[in-house]
Amino acid sequence: MKGLTRRLLVRLGTGLVMVWVVATFTFFLVHALPGNPGDAQYEQYLTQGMAPETARAKVAVIYGFTSHEPLLQQYTSYMWQLLQGNLGVSISYTGEPVVQVIRAALPWTLFPVLTGLVVSFLVGVTAGVVAAVRRSSRWGGLLSLSGSLVAGVPSFVLALLLAFLFHTLWQILPFGDTSDVTLEPGFNGPYIASVISHAVLPVATYALLSYGGWLLAMKSSVVSVLGDDFILASELRGITPLTRMRYIARNAILPLFTVLALSLGFMFGGSVLIEDIFDYPGLGNLLLKSIGARDYPLMGGAFLLITVAIVLANILAELLYSVIDPRVRR
Amino acid sequence: MTDTVQLTAERAEAAAEVSVRDLTVLYRTDQGELPAVAHADIDLPTGTITGLVGESGSGKSTLALSLMNAIPAPGRISSGSIQVNGVGDVTRLEGRALRRVRGRALGYVFQASQNSLNPLKTVGKQLLDLGRAHDVQDMRGLVRRARELADEMGMDGARVLDSYQHELSGGMRQRVGIVLALVLNARVLILDEPTTALDMLSQAAVLEIVRKVHRQEGLTTLVVTHDMGVVSEIADRLAVMYGGRIVEDGPATEVLQRPAHPYTRALIGATARITGDTDTARALPGRPPDLTTVPRTGCVFRERCPLAMDVCAETEPQLLTWAPDRRRACHADPATTAATGEGA
Amino acid sequence: MTAPTLGAATAAVPPRRRSTSWTAARRVVLRKPGRVIGLGILVFFALMAILGPYLYPGQLAVDPESIYAPPSGAHWLGTDFAGSDVLQEIVVGARYVLLTASLSALFTAVVGTGVGLVAGYHRGLADSVLMRATDFILTIPAFPLLIVLSTVWSFANPLEMSLVLGLTGWGGVARAVRSQTLSLRERGFLEAARGLGLPTRHIIVKELLPNIAPYVAMQLLLSVIGFIGAEVGLFFLGVVPFSSSNWGVMLNQAVFAGGAMNSPEALGYLLAPLVCILLLTLGVVLFLDAVDELFNPRLRERS
Repeated sequence: MKGLTRRLLVRLGTGLVMVWVVATFTFFLVHALPGNPGDAQYEQYLTQGMAPETARAKVAVIYGFTSHEPLLQQYTSYMWQLLQGNLGVSISYTGEPVVQVIRAALPWTLFPVLTGLVVSFLVGVTAGVVAAVRRSSRWGGLLSLSGSLVAGVPSFVLALLLAFLFHTLWQILPFGDTSDVTLEPGFNGPYIASVISHAVLPVATYALLSYGGWLLAMKSSVVSVLGDDFILASELRGITPLTRMRYIARNAILPLFTVLALSLGFMFGGSVLIEDIFDYPGLGNLLLKSIGARDYPLMGGAFLLITVAIVLANILAELLYSVIDPRVRR
Repeated sequence: MTDTVQLTAERAEAAAEVSVRDLTVLYRTDQGELPAVAHADIDLPTGTITGLVGESGSGKSTLALSLMNAIPAPGRISSGSIQVNGVGDVTRLEGRALRRVRGRALGYVFQASQNSLNPLKTVGKQLLDLGRAHDVQDMRGLVRRARELADEMGMDGARVLDSYQHELSGGMRQRVGIVLALVLNARVLILDEPTTALDMLSQAAVLEIVRKVHRQEGLTTLVVTHDMGVVSEIADRLAVMYGGRIVEDGPATEVLQRPAHPYTRALIGATARITGDTDTARALPGRPPDLTTVPRTGCVFRERCPLAMDVCAETEPQLLTWAPDRRRACHADPATTAATGEGA
Repeated sequence: MTAPTLGAATAAVPPRRRSTSWTAARRVVLRKPGRVIGLGILVFFALMAILGPYLYPGQLAVDPESIYAPPSGAHWLGTDFAGSDVLQEIVVGARYVLLTASLSALFTAVVGTGVGLVAGYHRGLADSVLMRATDFILTIPAFPLLIVLSTVWSFANPLEMSLVLGLTGWGGVARAVRSQTLSLRERGFLEAARGLGLPTRHIIVKELLPNIAPYVAMQLLLSVIGFIGAEVGLFFLGVVPFSSSNWGVMLNQAVFAGGAMNSPEALGYLLAPLVCILLLTLGVVLFLDAVDELFNPRLRERS
């Protein structure tokens, strides 16, 4: 278990460093902005007739610091707030803490991303096995080509094409928001149906986005495992075909855990574009809107959370990997 | 009764654990189907160790794999038979029947550098998979037998069964391969390059173990190797392959002392370098042929042969008995092959 | 003394690059029709990027009489919100898109190869530090980072854009170069060359680079599509100021101003850039197949 703990600790360590770097980056970014937004806010409060003390306190609540203190103190105060899980107060969602705004948006990113991940995993891995076994046939070649092509196409191109085909041209699927706004949210048939139909396009885009990665990785993995000596050796020992298939499957799945982390990163990164196109109120949309609205605390928070999600995905992938591979475990 | 030659041939066949007759294995390539093994005839007499020697691409591994009827995809056994004592013609088996023969009647051990174990499972778990595949009722007995075999080979049986492949050294993997090949009491053991990729000490140890197990279990063993040293160390009989043909065979000591085919002579000559006898050592000129470069007519060795004559380009020499228990496929006079090789 | 040693050193390196002559390349490309198509697509867009602005010099023609006109003889791909010819916009916009992507790829190649070579060659501390950095670059959500960066830096001009893209994208190349260097090292080239007393610079430039270049080339071809996606995406989202006419601006105008998602009016305007990106991706993917075979002799069939 020692090796595993070490590896996980390294992952966790680099993850924490990454989160710290991103947080520091956003802090200095806000400082570097033309016309420090904190100062601007402060000035605005003053012109509204607020006492300097109150104004300063309000700015501190929003940004986690005010520019009236030395830079280092501002930074530590900001970090201290961050450690307590306080990301400041959103400006565009007047007065609402950033954490709450993000908490409302997070499910609408996680739900389609994870659904898309499961769908693409099932389809991509199956297609990858077929592409590997039939690699010398025309169909196998076309399957591989579909994988490379889809893996290469930018996310928004996929999203726009899907939206165009299924919404504009054939008018099968709705898009915009998470459900029909006229419906009462809750556990009722029409609302759930509406949520599902609104999610189809984003989920399909996420799924397509990572389908190619799964396919290509699974294909090359199966091909290399099929060529492994222990498969032939087990055949020569008279091991049953079913058991051999299990040997192949378990060995071929292993390298895919690196794809898992990559895929999730890709999807979270792509959420900005995809959610913008489908007007889906998730994290990515939040990030983009916060920039449009100059809501810098919200921007920093959304960016930080996307980073955290990716770091967690990496650690998860590492954990899963080590559960399967004894060479890492011991 | 008058045909005494026929009679002795039949008697010889009866004493052979494995007899290969007219075996041809074809591989599909860009240039059509080409033979990797052509018209091979060979017996593995019961209780002997036979060494099968040749350069890479000579078809020796293909021949070994066809004993298991396990020629990989673009290849196939196109003609011939492989009779195994108590099993019948292996080339006619398929599906479940073939699967049951593999591992139970015929044990196959891979090259040591190749990883013949599933890296994600312990040896013990793979042993149980093996037992299940062959409907072994007494799993305890199977484990006990495996442990005994491992102990006999100088390993800690209990520990080995609890290990993953990456926890075993090359020599140990090789021995585990032998354990798995013999645990179901196979009568025939086939070793593909058993010493390649092992250091000198492990080589000696593995050969010692093979010899010991062979004797104790009363096996019939085929050792496929490119290393003349291995053969001289361990084999009772020796067969030499070149370009998919068996070019010479006979008792190992006799073939090594008096090779009757120029290729055998060249192989032995090339090995002499290791012993330091550089005067007589001769590297073989040219490169070993592969499927596509083997001459299609005449003798396959003629392009590298110091004795090549006109007839070699026209007629392929047959593998014929030229002295008691000695066969060779060469047009040249047996006396000349001996003389020329030495002088050159 | 020196002449024969040098000869021996070069002989130790597989003559992979030297045998990759034009005839071999031509044979590999011509073997499958898909590869020819791929190369054709790439050449087509390259020509478009080079010649485009000369084909349509001056400003885009604005024609208020025909806004969002459907494809016609006069306007093959229809017109946009201002009545400008979509085909003309595509052709003129190609230069920015491709120039930026190529520059990014160049930047990526330099940084990625440098980092990968140093890490793989020196190993030890340099390796672990550089690989940590590489992991960092690989895991950081690049596109969100670009968006956040756009708040302080309006990197719309090609040089700055490609610098930013290159900065976020060199991780993959560095990884590939490092593992390639390590495998060359394992095969004993480096020891052989060093044993002959060759200077480090010579080993890296003459022995390592030629063997690594193919992998870099392949990584680059792949990353070019990624860069095109990223830059066009930034313009599409509208977070980078529109300094010039390009495909991303077109998409942005079509979707957010033209309402292309709700009415088929701006159809050509929306589809033209999309199809261009799709075609480019297809071209790269098809052509990569040939590059792969050319540089991986194991895949090359006997002929």
